[in-house]
Order: sequence, then C-alpha cells, then structure tokens
Amino acid sequence: MTNGTQGGPEILENLKLELRRGCLIVAVLAQLRTEQYGYTLRKALAEDGLAIDEGTLYPLLRRLETQGLLVSQWREEDKRNKRFYLLSPAGEIILKQLLEEWENINSSLNKILQEATR
Amino acid sequence: MKIPSPDSSAQDSSTRNSTDLINRYLQAVRFWLPKSHRQEDLIAELGEDLRSQIEDNETELGHPLDNAEIAAILKRCGSPMMVAGRLGPQRHLIGPALFPIYEFVLKMVLLWILVPVFVFIVGPANVANSGGNWPLAILSTFGDLWSGLFIAAGIITLVFAIIERTNTQLGTEIKWDPLKLPPVRKEEQRKPSLLKAACEFGFNIFGLIWLLLVPYYPFLILGPAAAFLKAGPLVHMFYLPFVLLSVVALVRSGITLTRPHWAWFPLVSQLLQSVLMLTLLHYMIQAITKAPSGFPFVVLEDAVRNSPKYFKLVAIVNVSLLISVASTWLGVGIAAVIQIWALLRYLRNRPLPPRGMVSLILR
Repeated sequence: MTNGTQGGPEILENLKLELRRGCLIVAVLAQLRTEQYGYTLRKALAEDGLAIDEGTLYPLLRRLETQGLLVSQWREEDKRNKRFYLLSPAGEIILKQLLEEWENINSSLNKILQEATR
Repeated sequence: MKIPSPDSSAQDSSTRNSTDLINRYLQAVRFWLPKSHRQEDLIAELGEDLRSQIEDNETELGHPLDNAEIAAILKRCGSPMMVAGRLGPQRHLIGPALFPIYEFVLKMVLLWILVPVFVFIVGPANVANSGGNWPLAILSTFGDLWSGLFIAAGIITLVFAIIERTNTQLGTEIKWDPLKLPPVRKEEQRKPSLLKAACEFGFNIFGLIWLLLVPYYPFLILGPAAAFLKAGPLVHMFYLPFVLLSVVALVRSGITLTRPHWAWFPLVSQLLQSVLMLTLLHYMIQAITKAPSGFPFVVLEDAVRNSPKYFKLVAIVNVSLLISVASTWLGVGIAAVIQIWALLRYLRNRPLPPRGMVSLILR
C-alpha cells in the first residue's frame, strides 16, 4: 500500500491539468463565436477565470484550425498585423455537440454527487 | 492605443528598446523551434501577443515600459527554450521542455561529429587499408556510419527519455535573463553573388578551352612527361563525355550569371551536374575494372615502349590517376549530399504564398 498523500500536490496538478485540457477546447471554441485575435482571446479567457499561456493557446488554435473547426486570417488592425480567428461552420456544429455532451456529463456528475451525499 | 507622454523622444527610445528586446527574445525562441513553414507564423503571432501585452501594461501604468518591465513580461512568458518547446509539435517520449535540447544534441553529435569523423578520418583510413579494394572499403565505411548513427541516436534518445522520466522539473527552473539575450542578427537574404557567378563562368570557359586543346597539346596535362607518354584507351573513351559535361557546366554558369533572380537554379543545376559527374565516374570506374590493359589512362610512346625505367613510371602515373578518380568520386558524392541538403533547406524555407502577412519586424 502506498501512502495516499505522497505526491499529492503533483497528482492534483496533473488531474487538474487533464480536467482543464478538455474544458479549454470548449472555452476557446465558444469564445471564437465572435472573431478575435490571439491576445484578446487569451485576455477574455483569463478574465473569465481560464488563464492560458501563449505556448498552450497558439498550438491549440493551430490544431483546431487544422481540424477545420476554426478559420484564421492575418489582417492589419491599428497599424499592426494580427491573426484573427473565427469559429468555422463545422466548428459551430462541433461546439453545439460538445456543449450537449458537457451538459450530459454535468448532470450525470451532479446526480452521482447527490447520491453520494445521501 | 496611444499613450500620452510629455516627452515623445523618451517614448520613441522606449519603443525602440522594447522592439529590440522582443526581437532578441523571438530570435532566441526561433533558434529552439523546429524549422518548418509554421515557425515564422508562430514567431509572428508570439511577437504580436507580446507587443499587445506591453501595450496593455503601458495603458494601465500610463507610461512607456522600461527594459526591466519588459524583461518581467518576457520572464513571465518563459525561457525561450521552454516557450519553443511548448509551441513546437507535441512530443511523447521526450517532453516539450527537453525536446529542443535533445534535438540540438542529436544534430550536434550525428551531423557535426559522427558524419565528419567517418567522412574525413574513418573513410580515408579504410580506403588506405583496403589493399586496393576501395569500393568495398567505401561501402563498409557507409555501413559503419549507418550503424554508428543508429546507435548514437538510440543512446541519446534513451538518456533524454530517462532524464524526462526522472526529473520532471528539469527545464522549468532554468535561470535566464531577458536583458542578457544576444543582439538580433541581421538575416541577409540569400543573394546570388554576381562576382562568384562571373568567376565560375570565366573558369568554365577556361576549362573547356583547356580540355579542347589537350588532344593537340598533351603537355597541357602531362607536362614534360608528354615526351614519352600518350593517352590510353580510357581517355579516348571518356574524352567526349567530359567535354559535354564541361559544356553543361558552362551553360549552367552562364544561366546563373544572367538569371541571378532564379534562386532555385544554382541549387538544382549544381545537383544535376554532380549527378551527371557521378554517373560518368561510375562508368569510368567500371571500365577501369574491365580494362584488359594495366595502364588505362596513359601508355608509353612507341619510341620508349620497351624501356623498363619508363615502364615503372607509367605504372605510377596510372595508379595516381586511379586514386584521383576515386577521390573525385568521393568528393562529388559528398558535394551531392550537401547540395541535396541545401536544396531541401531552400524548399523548406522558401516564402509561402501570401496569406496576408508574415513579417517579423516589429514596429
């Protein structure tokens, strides 16, 4: 038997990371229902409590774009070139399905937690 | 968003400082990022993100940021190596924090240590000890090189995988100072040198004329030995192909000279020329091994045919020429590998079709 508290904070960090990973994708897709560029997206996510660093966001955006869920475009704004991202039609469908799945998981989890506390 | 400032020159200087510091940071990140068409795109986007952060901070504080404040933003962003690791493709065996160092060590050991050692030391030593069977020696060297590369890559990968598993904190605690990042190197565009192209063209004209004159004036190649030596059967057989190859080289250098904007042309044509040369040398070496005479390159003039003194000399000249042909084959082979590498690098780094912008110069 191993000591349950050994490596506790590290295990918790890893689990939190795993939990966040899936949620971040949904959050990014949801935020990009309106067009934004990288920094404003990061800022908006951070303001809503989901801070994400540059090194995580940009590869994620590229991956989602490669999967056809986002479209992007380099455009000049305020005399600076910025890459703007927007949810694609395919992305909208996937987001809707993901949100439905999220609702299902959430209600199942609530049910499980209520049963456990009874 | 403009920040009102009483001293516009101070603000300009601050903008220059921030631009310089960000460019230095991006240069360092670029160094660790895998070279791909996405590299510049990612760097451009990271640069824009950093500039936006600085702009936001300036708006909040009401004054332009100084170097220490910009350095704090960069520090929070992470060391260039860590950021490159996170921005790069996802790795499984070796994580993003270690991958840039792993890639760097792998390249250093394989390409800059093992390959040169085998090409310049082990290969020639094997050929020298081959007892004349140099094709087998070259093949054996390549075989050993392949095994050596494989084993070295395996050991390096294993060591890094162990470090990855045993020290998860490695890479996250690297001490670095944004203010000590090296200055931005001015990247010069690959411009074909006109002088180089002109010299090459001149040498090719000279070479072709020399080659055309050799049959009439053998001393041009044999020197004083032309008095008792003459061209052997192999020289007659391969003279015309070599003249044609010289013409190809002349045309190639002429096109390079007159079409300097065709950046791809020197790379492709040099490789093509090397392939032609290798093919020609291959047939030449085959002809040598099948030659009925022991003196394929030069033979004795009729007047001295029975002289034992000259007989020994002609044997030495033929062996020397044989070694020259073998060395040329090896040299052209190495050149072809380098040319393939240069061509692949050009294809990988050539500008992408315009998508709006990919500019790294931060204003």
